Amino acid sequence: MDNGIITIGIDVGSSYVKTVLLSYSENIEILDHHIEKIRKRNPAIVAEESINFLLDKNNLVYEDIVYLASTGEGEMVERKKGHFYSMTTHARGATFLFNNVDFVVDMGALYVKAIKIDKVGRVLDYKMTGQCASGSGQFIENISRYLGLAISEVGEMSLKSKAPETPSGICAVLAETDVINMVSRGISTPDIVKGIHISVANRVIKLLNSLKADGTIVLTGGMASNIGMVQTVKELAEKAGLNPDNIKAHPNSIVAGALGAAIWAGFRYNKLNAKALSN
Amino acid sequence: MPNLKELADKCENLAFDLNFTEAKSWKAKDSKRVIIGYMPVYFPREIIHAVNGLAVGILGGGDRKQIVVGDAYYQSYICHIPRGIIEMALSGHFTGFDGFVFPSICDVIRNLSGMFQMSKIGQFAKYMDFPQDFNPEIGGKFYIQEMDSVLSKIKEINGVELTVENLNRSIGLYNKNRKLIERIYDIRQSYPWRLSAVDTYHIIRAGMVIPVEEHNEILEQLIEEISKEFGDPMDKIKVVVTGAFCEQPPVSLIRTIELAGCYVVDDDFMLGSRWLQTQVDDTTDNPKLALSDAYLNYSAFSSSVYDVGNPKSKRLIELVKRRKADGIIFAAPSFCDPALLDKPIYNQECDKAGIRYINFQYHENIGQFKVIKEQVGAFSDSIKLWDVEA
Repeated sequence: MDNGIITIGIDVGSSYVKTVLLSYSENIEILDHHIEKIRKRNPAIVAEESINFLLDKNNLVYEDIVYLASTGEGEMVERKKGHFYSMTTHARGATFLFNNVDFVVDMGALYVKAIKIDKVGRVLDYKMTGQCASGSGQFIENISRYLGLAISEVGEMSLKSKAPETPSGICAVLAETDVINMVSRGISTPDIVKGIHISVANRVIKLLNSLKADGTIVLTGGMASNIGMVQTVKELAEKAGLNPDNIKAHPNSIVAGALGAAIWAGFRYNKLNAKALSN
Repeated sequence: MPNLKELADKCENLAFDLNFTEAKSWKAKDSKRVIIGYMPVYFPREIIHAVNGLAVGILGGGDRKQIVVGDAYYQSYICHIPRGIIEMALSGHFTGFDGFVFPSICDVIRNLSGMFQMSKIGQFAKYMDFPQDFNPEIGGKFYIQEMDSVLSKIKEINGVELTVENLNRSIGLYNKNRKLIERIYDIRQSYPWRLSAVDTYHIIRAGMVIPVEEHNEILEQLIEEISKEFGDPMDKIKVVVTGAFCEQPPVSLIRTIELAGCYVVDDDFMLGSRWLQTQVDDTTDNPKLALSDAYLNYSAFSSSVYDVGNPKSKRLIELVKRRKADGIIFAAPSFCDPALLDKPIYNQECDKAGIRYINFQYHENIGQFKVIKEQVGAFSDSIKLWDVEA
């Protein structure tokens, strides 16, 4: 660790709370991160526990943190100094993980957002999936549960598919019925899983097309850590005329929101300090 | 003395008591007391107070009253507040009210006064026109005649004659009320975390349904509480919210603005309570003239007022600078012609002054705030993180 100030970014999602501990200076460094499933608990309590976990693990106390920033649904985080909008934080997280990012796709549990950004990570435009859960990570999680798979297994499983069967892409309820039919028809698990990945990835490509996406596209959020999903998005992107090599995901993509919040926290801390000094 | 939370809770209950229990029990203590309902934006409550009356603000049912028959009275392209008010009237919420005043806001509200008249709700329903000519010899005289018209209707009900002494006393009480409210806004400008915008809203709105003496007491207690050091500031932008001077936003919308990263340091939610931006002379032999002069020369700016000599857009920019706000949120009710017609003028002035702003619309019983939260959150971030707009 260099002499950077220490910040925390916490991204409260609908399924997971992601927390990043960061050293902020000219050389930004992720010191640690923590991902905690909410499991029907109070998200505010999960958030507090996640913060304490990271502090304890790194022999720090809350007073060592100059700025704790929340994002996502993190307004309920008690000890935050500020809250940033999730598109802003995912954009910043993505520009930290990769250079020259033009688009970010936040693939979360409840919806997918395609975000167009400029060179400094500022949001210029966005499109997001509608109300239906069939375009969300929660949908994949539900189907994997019906199939008796852990969420961590579905990505690998989808890569084994030979003849994918795609369910309804319109409605999660219909899609789940389709999956039950597929099971009774004896469709293999990898083909079913690949099919649901295609269903979600189709939505991602539609969003990107509506933004006339080009250049580097970074996938963030929980689904970006699913190698099967990343692979499927690349395959469909190629069919849609996009360069699959420009679609990127990072091992830390799942914490991109929390990472972006932690980076902006350092930025704001310095900015507020400078403002206080000039006054 | 009650603490801050107790005061805020009490005011929330008062503000959203759609049966006006406090006002009705106040009236029940004296057979010569009257309750006069009035709509936003502004009405000189002093004249009602001086003749043994209580002016009670009627602001619709917000998100707490389901509209069943109200929709039958208005076309779909009309704003929401008159539906809420006629719904409340027809379902008996205003039982015990003696009369109603509909200050000049727009055609819709003028028509609402007609509906009250035809439905025989209360003993009178007066559409009170306000002068658009600010010459005291013309607009001033007209305004005093309008006040006299209301007073004569009340005299027919309770027989109470207005006296100079009583009106001066009432003016003094309302002077104090406005001064205390401004003090709260001034404290919040520097320490907005001590009192949320939602609590502020409840506290000011409560003053529309209880006697001014009681409200002044609450405000004094509150100021004592929020003058103490407590809490830490959060990293939020400071905004002025404007456009909501008549139909009120649901409280959840105000909360959403705060949660999305803003401190609301000024607003026009309860503009009528802050309308006169001066202390009216309460020692004069002609207090009605004093009220009239105050209206002509020291009114707040609003889309309901013609103000070519003192443009509202210029005054809005001045307000933003005075409150040291980072930006403006134009939150106008859907189909509110006055607010929406002024919006481009305001926007243009903000562009010239380099003040950042966003626009959105609401209606009083809107229940979905996701889009507004996204919009306000993006606005807050853009100001916090980038010095110039994209």
